[in-house]
Amino acid sequence: MSETVHLTIDGREIAADPTVSILQAYAQSGAELTANVGCMGQGVCGSCRCMVRKDGERQVSTLLACETRVEPGMQVSFIDYFLPAHVHHYDLKDLHDSWGMLDQIRAVFPEAEHCRHCSGCDRACPKGLPVQSGVAFSVAGDIAAAAAVFDQCVMCNLCTLACPENIRPNHLGLFVRRSVAALTLRPIDLMRRLREVASGEMSVNVTLPRVETATAAPRLAAPAQDR
Amino acid sequence: MNTLNQVLLNPAFQLGADLDGWRAAGGGQGLDAALADPGAIIATLEAADLRGMGGAGFPTHRKWAAAAAAPAPDGDKYVVCNGNEDEPGTFKDRHLLRWTPHQVIEGALIAAVAIRANRVVLYINPHQAEGRAQMRRAAQQWAGTEAVRRIERLIGKPLEIAVVATSGRYIGGEETAVISSLEGGFPFPRRKPPFPAESGCHGAPTLINNTETLANVPHILHHGAAWYRGLGVGDAAGTKLYSLSGDVLLPGLYELPMGTSLHDLIFVHGGGMLEGKAFKGVFTGGPSNTLLTARDLDVALDFDSVRLRRSRLGTGAMIVISEGTSIVRKVAEYIEFFANGSCGQCPSCKAGTFQMARLLDRVDSGRAGPGDIAALRNLCRILPGSGRCGLIDGAVTVVESSLHTFPAEYGVAEPAPAETA
Repeated sequence: MSETVHLTIDGREIAADPTVSILQAYAQSGAELTANVGCMGQGVCGSCRCMVRKDGERQVSTLLACETRVEPGMQVSFIDYFLPAHVHHYDLKDLHDSWGMLDQIRAVFPEAEHCRHCSGCDRACPKGLPVQSGVAFSVAGDIAAAAAVFDQCVMCNLCTLACPENIRPNHLGLFVRRSVAALTLRPIDLMRRLREVASGEMSVNVTLPRVETATAAPRLAAPAQDR
Repeated sequence: MNTLNQVLLNPAFQLGADLDGWRAAGGGQGLDAALADPGAIIATLEAADLRGMGGAGFPTHRKWAAAAAAPAPDGDKYVVCNGNEDEPGTFKDRHLLRWTPHQVIEGALIAAVAIRANRVVLYINPHQAEGRAQMRRAAQQWAGTEAVRRIERLIGKPLEIAVVATSGRYIGGEETAVISSLEGGFPFPRRKPPFPAESGCHGAPTLINNTETLANVPHILHHGAAWYRGLGVGDAAGTKLYSLSGDVLLPGLYELPMGTSLHDLIFVHGGGMLEGKAFKGVFTGGPSNTLLTARDLDVALDFDSVRLRRSRLGTGAMIVISEGTSIVRKVAEYIEFFANGSCGQCPSCKAGTFQMARLLDRVDSGRAGPGDIAALRNLCRILPGSGRCGLIDGAVTVVESSLHTFPAEYGVAEPAPAETA
């Protein structure tokens, strides 16, 4: 397993250890990690979207670079955050009670009904979530079930790229999750903990990775004020 | 310009929906000839070397022969006139639909005779409202005519002529997307095979031809294959509608002998470059093909000759660019068009055109990072062949060719290193 593999990332020939991910190989090659190329260790998940064409294959897949292992002859191209022509706007304050939920979904995400069950989003999801069923639950008005489907969504946007009907499943998922949160009682342990943080009873000490501590430290020193 | 060469744009035929006028001008005789000897139609088209004018240049007779030979499981066969024309710089079909609807419909009826089709669909882009209205009126004028009754006797069932609005989207012109559209869905392209001629609309054999292709058919049947071949320059046959636009003095629609040189199109018919500026290049029909440059001014504008320059004649659209117009800007515009036109079915096409558009926009606005050109080149290697239809391939071709031919405009000092073709 000690042999190196050669692959191309954004036009650069890169030699990498076969055990590493595309993102690791890219970082180890000395390339700069910029916006849209990796989360830079900050865990902003889904920010290493890329297109990959494997050696000898015609198909080009959309994947996350951090969880895809390098293969010889792979060709990789990172992609920017995909912004469709139509972006959804909504205000959770419009949700007075759950009776209006079905209307809200129709008003904000009218295209969700156009789902043609091609499973493109299911195949695209790097988390393996049953995205299409989440869309179907949303359209049917089963918000709790839909929110459960999207609970682990990392908002990488790959399902949006895969949808021929221009539904943005991850954003629909975010909407139903937010709606559920807005319409239900907050968990008591969360409420308690926020109070403890606010009163200073509980101190928050986040150690940030690497360089940015100098600017980040004063901001984090008094988290209570941030609220 | 030699107006005697004009076939499709012959002033005598620019009548709109006027069947009697069309007959008086000599129309209808092609259909009569076809009905007199239906078995000879396809051979005549083969001898005439008629090609698909929608961009592919595919020999028309081969499509017709395949559709004629295909068994019709439910007894239905379709002839579709593809009038979806929506690509930047192409404006030929809309003229034919608006001014010579009978020329087009007669071609479609001859196709119906040749392949024994009982359903003729005139698939028209609704953005061309005038053309659609004329076609609708013209189609009604054919109803109940003796010619139609003769066709019905030949095929043994009623002949239906329908005018159908397309989705008005660029992708709707793709052959398999036409079928999706006619079946009532969004125009998503499908995988080939099966080819439409074997299994198309609702599984029935479906012959899909471009408007200009069909418009040529009545004349070929009327005057003969030898006459048609003689219209072209050299080995090329017939005439071609060239949509000339961009930085030329006299942009417009020109019908010229197939095989007219690019130089003559621009400098003789087009009146030369605008403001006497230097010629830089031409985006050909699509614009999804390799750019033609000053070295290619001598190229004969026919399907085979342009192919030898590693480009394509396409729809016959010629968007001429002069010094002072940014190639990157134009390419960025076209890729933006393709990104918006992508049906979104193949993630590589949706993401690929989007990403290329982003990169081109950065280059054009001077915000490109050091790796952006390499990333663009990389996309040109990764993407081709990854889609169900040719949209992504065409988009890549125009980017790759502009990068190769005009590296300086991309801020790349040296010519690109030789890439494997």
